[in-house]
Amino acid sequence: MRSPAWYQQAIIYELPVKSFFDSNGDGIGDFPGLIEKLDYIESLGVTCLWLLPFFPSPLRDDGYDIADYCQVHPSFGTLDDFRRFLEAAHDRGLRVVIELVLNHTSQEHEWFQRARRAPSGSSERNYYVWSETDTAYPDARIIFVDSEPSNWTWDHVAGAYYWHRFFHHQPDLNFDHPPVLQELLRVVDFWMEMGVDGFRLDAVAYLTEREGTACENLPQTHAILKTLRKHVDTRWPDRMLLAEANHGPAEVRAYFGDGDECHMAYHFPLMPRVFMALHVEDRQPIVDILRATPPIPDSCQWALFLRNHDELTLEMVDDDERDYMYLAYSADPQARLNVGIRRRLAPLMGNNRRRLELLNSLLFSLPGTPIVYYGDEIGMGDNLYLGDRNGVRTPMQWTNDRNAGFSRADPSRLYNPVVMDPVYGFQAVNVETQERDGASLLQWMRNLIGLRKLFPAFGVGGLTFIDAANHKVLAYVRDDGHDAILCVANLSRAVQPVELDLRAFAGSVPIEMLGYTEFPAIGPQPYFLTLGPYGFYWFELQQRDA
Amino acid sequence: MPDETADPAVVAGLLTYQDAATVGAAARAVREGLAAHFAGVPTRMLIVDVGSTDGTVALVREAFGGAADVIEVAPHRSAADLLDVPYHGIPGKARALRAVLSTALDLKARACIVFDGGVRTLTGEWVASLARPILDDQLDFVSPFFSRPPFEGALTKGLVYPVIRALYGVRLHQPAAAEFACSSGLAGHWLRTDLWERSGAQAGIDIWLTTAAAAGDFRVAEVPLGVRAHGTRGEEALDLGATLAQVVGALFADMERHARVWHRSQTRVPVRRLPSPAEAVRPAAAAVDADRLVEAFRLGYRELRDIWTFVLPPRTIVELKKALDQPAREFRLADDLWARIVYDFAIGYRMRAVARDHLLRSLVPLYSGWLASYAGQVRDASPEEGDRRVEALAEAFENQKAYLIARWRWPERLRIG
Repeated sequence: MRSPAWYQQAIIYELPVKSFFDSNGDGIGDFPGLIEKLDYIESLGVTCLWLLPFFPSPLRDDGYDIADYCQVHPSFGTLDDFRRFLEAAHDRGLRVVIELVLNHTSQEHEWFQRARRAPSGSSERNYYVWSETDTAYPDARIIFVDSEPSNWTWDHVAGAYYWHRFFHHQPDLNFDHPPVLQELLRVVDFWMEMGVDGFRLDAVAYLTEREGTACENLPQTHAILKTLRKHVDTRWPDRMLLAEANHGPAEVRAYFGDGDECHMAYHFPLMPRVFMALHVEDRQPIVDILRATPPIPDSCQWALFLRNHDELTLEMVDDDERDYMYLAYSADPQARLNVGIRRRLAPLMGNNRRRLELLNSLLFSLPGTPIVYYGDEIGMGDNLYLGDRNGVRTPMQWTNDRNAGFSRADPSRLYNPVVMDPVYGFQAVNVETQERDGASLLQWMRNLIGLRKLFPAFGVGGLTFIDAANHKVLAYVRDDGHDAILCVANLSRAVQPVELDLRAFAGSVPIEMLGYTEFPAIGPQPYFLTLGPYGFYWFELQQRDA
Repeated sequence: MPDETADPAVVAGLLTYQDAATVGAAARAVREGLAAHFAGVPTRMLIVDVGSTDGTVALVREAFGGAADVIEVAPHRSAADLLDVPYHGIPGKARALRAVLSTALDLKARACIVFDGGVRTLTGEWVASLARPILDDQLDFVSPFFSRPPFEGALTKGLVYPVIRALYGVRLHQPAAAEFACSSGLAGHWLRTDLWERSGAQAGIDIWLTTAAAAGDFRVAEVPLGVRAHGTRGEEALDLGATLAQVVGALFADMERHARVWHRSQTRVPVRRLPSPAEAVRPAAAAVDADRLVEAFRLGYRELRDIWTFVLPPRTIVELKKALDQPAREFRLADDLWARIVYDFAIGYRMRAVARDHLLRSLVPLYSGWLASYAGQVRDASPEEGDRRVEALAEAFENQKAYLIARWRWPERLRIG
């Protein structure tokens, strides 16, 4: 059997540099600060860091509006600081994945400034997508419906409209113009040569446009990704490309190609259905979406997450489901943004520890590589009154001291205020407190991560749902040929009994994995279990010698 | 005469450091053993000296200079090796071993044997006993079993052997011996791992090679070789605390690396005890001062109990307290209690519950207590009875393995801050 690739066994920790730790007291997190906190990250047991954009940028989209691909934003440090960080992370066995925003740049990028002044039809001009009217590609939806009226914006310097799928200050690059890809391959080489282990390919579904289509997931986009992958494989073996394509599983499957496009892709539709299943206390939303998920090449992997730096997107659910989710999880309209809910995990769960543990048990046992969003390991809250998605990007809460121990700056200088409400505020929720509490969520997360790492089946094992009459209970087996792991989860707030059809494992002895407790052997009869409210079990199904 | 141009079937590496008093006899024994037992088979002897200043190298050259089957190998050396003094006295031991194994692979040897140039009792029979099973029986790792009085090698008997046996199901009674034989397959496996670069490799390499073999899919055996007696290298013996910290630290550090393996191993891996022509020698037993050991335990309880509470659960502390009042000659620590103590220290080491060196040194009084208990049980016992006592202890470690796994998987933080 092939050894799993590192990204198939990884535990990824997502963080914005600006939010983690401020070493120089200017109110903004930076790379020297991140280096200081690598011991903490290592102690979590995660194996890979995913850094949100840290490049020079006007920061009108939190850095996804890049003005220079090959530099570090001065607020976060220097290129040398990044190199030192990378070396320190690698010394601890931590991989590092950074952002590659292929689809668009900032308006302030020199390519755009050059393009808008270049003659129409010139190579420089063709780095972006221009039109004399704003009527082309009418079938392409608007993604940021709360802020953008059109995918076209007039540029008075160029005297033409330019195409943008996101904010109007983020013009889309024109991948039908070959020099664009060559420029971006040079960016890839720049960072890979430095030693980064992979790229998250932002907004990868929108690279090309064609009339009469939704301008998403086009064959020409896949051709570009194949070229990129070939380039990486040829020059930089053992690196990883992670596709951000917010689409249904069948469409996202295409981003793996035949193992010749992206190594990983997010499973976007799973996340809202996990929240839905928990609220309706029924496993069906999870089972349905995973059954609709096609198999992927052996060398590939899904990336799973509960929450991230964006809103909890509801684009991948139908209208009824969306209405339900809004009512269930965002009674406060302030929590809604675009087509989603801008809340962190703990507030979404009503700060219910059992629900938090249950959702994390799913994150760490369903097929894929789990991604933990910074602060969710301590149950950080959010601030709904900050604009856009800034409410889930507040400073990391290290201590109950000033500025949550994040910065020595005057509080009014912080890039965002720290969360200060009585439930989730830094006085109540912080790393220092949870380090000293043996029963804290932080310690629980460390244990769960450590346990997951012992069993490669969680990363690469197959998935088989186990039938049970009680729909409030979700049961499945992860099996990689060496280990078979039975996962059972009670999605309900009440105690639930369940009879599982485990005849396929008759003779095996279930060992409850957290306590290494032996349960009665599986026989031909249905296997009976009782689960507490939001309870879950992971069982190692051990074959015993006769 | 063997063909000295052909690829050797057997390569024997002799590691030396300040061994002028013993190296001549040891080297002759190895070379004569190769000649006597592998006649017609191409062989080589590698001399790997790690920086002797007492004429060791000159003695070897004088004896074997010009012999085509004797090769001097110069391992890469580091000044740091001299600061990182291992308990068995060969600075840069890992580099020397790596040089032997690499050279053996380069020479396409089917079997590689390693000896210590400081051993006074090395005979040509050792060469055959270790290498033959590799060539004839396709085994991968042959470990020696030396005749020892009950109190000799107590740390191995009371901790290293039972832990390795419980973790991997492999019953190698002296799993960190300086002498061993391996197949080319296992040598290649070892060389591909990163254990050579790991912190503490100089002290831990002997244990790590054994556990890497035990954790892999390799066929292992042990062979009785009689008595092993070592010359002095002029260095002062390390105190018990330093020795224990090095040996047990290396063992604990290795547990995390192979956790995926030992969490799964339920079966016993067969270890063949091979016959050997070595005579059953009964070396003289050393005296053990039980009063001193028990007093060390009592002192440790008074002074170190606070540290112990970071890693030992209250139930264990209470049991230790009960043991305080036992008279020295009747002092006993139950096997399962000792097993749980060792496992809890392993978890504390992994969790960094206390600074690791402090934690390991705080184990010394507990080990003294166990040694007093063991001494009381084997004081008048025959070697066979002593062996049975060790086997019973090892079974207790096996029985408590579930305790270890449960706490390893879901550690309980007993005290924080």
